[in-house]
Amino acid sequence: MTNRRAVVVTGMGAICALGDQPARIHDALCEGRSRFAAPTVFPADIAPGYHVAEVPDFKAEAYVKTGNVRPLDRTGRLALVGVELTLADCGWTVERRASHPLGLILGTMFCSVRTIGEFDRRAQQAGPEYASPMDFSNTVLNAAAGQVAIWQKLRGINTTLSSGATSGVHAVGYAMQMIRAGRADALLAGGAEEICYESFHGSRQAARLAAPNGVGGPRPFDAARTGTAMGEGAAFLTLEAEEFAAERGARVLARVAGFGSAYDPDTRSATTPSGRALALAIAHALKDAAVGADQIGVVVSSASGSRELDAREGAGIAAAVGTRAPVTAIKSMTGEALGSSGALQALTAIETMRTGRLPGVAGLGTLDPAIKIDASPQTRTVSAKHALVTAIAPEGNCCAIVLSMD
Amino acid sequence: MEQRPRVVVTGIGVVTSVGVGVDAFWRALLAGASGISAVESFDTSRYSVHIGGEVKNFDPRGYVERLRPNAMGRASQLAIAAARLALRDAGLDPAALDPLTTGVSMGTTSGEPSLIEVFNDKDLAGNRDTIGPEFIEQYPSHVIAAHLASEFGFAGPNIVIPTACAAGNYALAHASDNIRSGEADVMLAGGSDAFSRITYTGFARLGAIAPERCQPFDKNRKGMVPGEGAAILVLERRDRAIARGATIYAELAGYGLTCDANHMTAPQGDGAARAMQIAMADAGVRPDEIGYISAHGTGTAVNDRVETGAVKQAFGDAAYQVPMSSIKSMLGHTMGAASAIEAAACTLAVRDDRIPPTIHHETADPECDLDYVPNIARQTPVELAMNNAYAFGGNNASVIFRKHRL
Repeated sequence: MTNRRAVVVTGMGAICALGDQPARIHDALCEGRSRFAAPTVFPADIAPGYHVAEVPDFKAEAYVKTGNVRPLDRTGRLALVGVELTLADCGWTVERRASHPLGLILGTMFCSVRTIGEFDRRAQQAGPEYASPMDFSNTVLNAAAGQVAIWQKLRGINTTLSSGATSGVHAVGYAMQMIRAGRADALLAGGAEEICYESFHGSRQAARLAAPNGVGGPRPFDAARTGTAMGEGAAFLTLEAEEFAAERGARVLARVAGFGSAYDPDTRSATTPSGRALALAIAHALKDAAVGADQIGVVVSSASGSRELDAREGAGIAAAVGTRAPVTAIKSMTGEALGSSGALQALTAIETMRTGRLPGVAGLGTLDPAIKIDASPQTRTVSAKHALVTAIAPEGNCCAIVLSMD
Repeated sequence: MEQRPRVVVTGIGVVTSVGVGVDAFWRALLAGASGISAVESFDTSRYSVHIGGEVKNFDPRGYVERLRPNAMGRASQLAIAAARLALRDAGLDPAALDPLTTGVSMGTTSGEPSLIEVFNDKDLAGNRDTIGPEFIEQYPSHVIAAHLASEFGFAGPNIVIPTACAAGNYALAHASDNIRSGEADVMLAGGSDAFSRITYTGFARLGAIAPERCQPFDKNRKGMVPGEGAAILVLERRDRAIARGATIYAELAGYGLTCDANHMTAPQGDGAARAMQIAMADAGVRPDEIGYISAHGTGTAVNDRVETGAVKQAFGDAAYQVPMSSIKSMLGHTMGAASAIEAAACTLAVRDDRIPPTIHHETADPECDLDYVPNIARQTPVELAMNNAYAFGGNNASVIFRKHRL
């Protein structure tokens, strides 16, 4: 572990229900804005009263000037736009990418289960000879990462990671470790996920969605929370070795100081939720970052309104960093954006440290008395040099990253 | 590069169409056995092709003990079977391992496709409401690693890397990093894919499936043959393995990952060559020291020609001296499991100085003019073996195994 390379963030980009610029997304979060509405990407009459957080009127063509986006499905297009915005932000031009291979680490839970589902339904209905070969190339779970690599000429390490709702945080951790180990000088890391019928209907049938939620979003950490609501988007950070970024004169937004992950093997066989695995993941991340629990100024959690998961996440945060650090949750505004959530949280953490404004938890009325953390619906002024991003998934995955600005 | 922890293979578990368990598998490969037969898992009467590499008569009840075998998809069942065999082979009692430093890293192309197939069958039959929680709980690809960790009680790093047909190598590479970084002492790493009508339909529509047999590098090759299976390697920190007196198959000496960034389904060659070169630099070895290459070798016209060119680009004159075979000639293409199964073959080749053949190789192709070990296994010194895998999305991965000496 001696003389390992420091990893810095030199750019970020995102597209989600709240907008397509990190500063504007952060403003929306601080103002408690959300735009849950009836779905348009699948027939709304499938689920009357259920609202989702789509990227409104999403058109990839509005962001990429040349080329044909038709071969890309919605997940691929969201990822393409997220990467396009990130590349513009960090200044990795196409000429630079030609001389220095840049890679992409993409977290996703489903890639496009809509593409997979439609491909199979067409073959079942009309016959296998009517299935689309072009759609087949998008049925692989690394399709979005592959399509974006082609479009943006990303010839470096290209890895798709899946650990459920924690995929995006995993992607940032994986990229940081690759750069530390000297396997890459620079990587884009984040995730992408689309809202579609298959994941929506599946989530509803598993009772993961708040029952007809009207115009209000989910209520993270609230005593009366009943489930989450679907979101979508794509978000990425540009991670670079510190000396490599300095050499090219890049602006540095933050350091990725530490990563930790753990798994709760009892999730699938026991019923007692515990925050132990998340607490372990956080402890690993703090140790990796050489940052003390008392130095954490803000926590950007993955709380989504789930009864069980929010309780586990709160318990894990409290166990690892205590009850003093202010905690926020953004999924009551962005929706549960699955693979893209982790990078949206990381971006929120960086913008919070930069602006000194920590978004309040929209939808939080009465904090669940069983959750012993400092969460508030009010947007607060903070002075934080170290931010913790946490993520927890129902299958048992937990991870955390420490972002620093000192 | 300064001294870094070394990673060794101490156990192998395989579930394949030519044999279950490391001994049966290796005997079959050396004998040039074929696992290709008529597809039984779904009706192929509407297809122009009817063969596949299915694992026949697989019963998960002999392997899945803690979880319920019927509460998970076939890829998870195959993976748990391979893992149990691998742990047994390594002489490790899962209950005696430190859960916090034991993790899982798995590759897959399709995750659990049977769950979306059932979802579609119900949906098309007008029974949308009968889709239950099982879709969300058992479909997403990351449940394969979650099931493994829950079955054995492992709380360390847990990830699925769904980089399509190169996924097994990505998972092995990542697991070796987990050990080198100190996150884990022991990793279950490999790949799993179940036979799927979606995958079969897609390759059939691409016209890529051979009608009778898989003949990699033969002039008259007619395509690939979809297959299924799982392989898990127990990776362990070398000093720990030696201290416990483990039998060591080989060392995982290095790897290289690149992306073509050129085409979703057509390999380009340069990216594959760069992955081989990066892997050799990582392992600190020269091309003329490699004693065996396990080819991606799918049996399609394009893959085998481009792959041959890539090996020449990476190896120079040494390309003509290195034996290179494709066990896909026997197993078909087991998708994300393929490179994990091939990694098992590489470690055995390194242990025994024996190379499995490329079967059905009858007519030399002037465009494929390397030594493909036609039809008969070969006894020859194998100090180092390189495992090559390429995927949709342009993902390339090479992993190198080295003979282990105390």
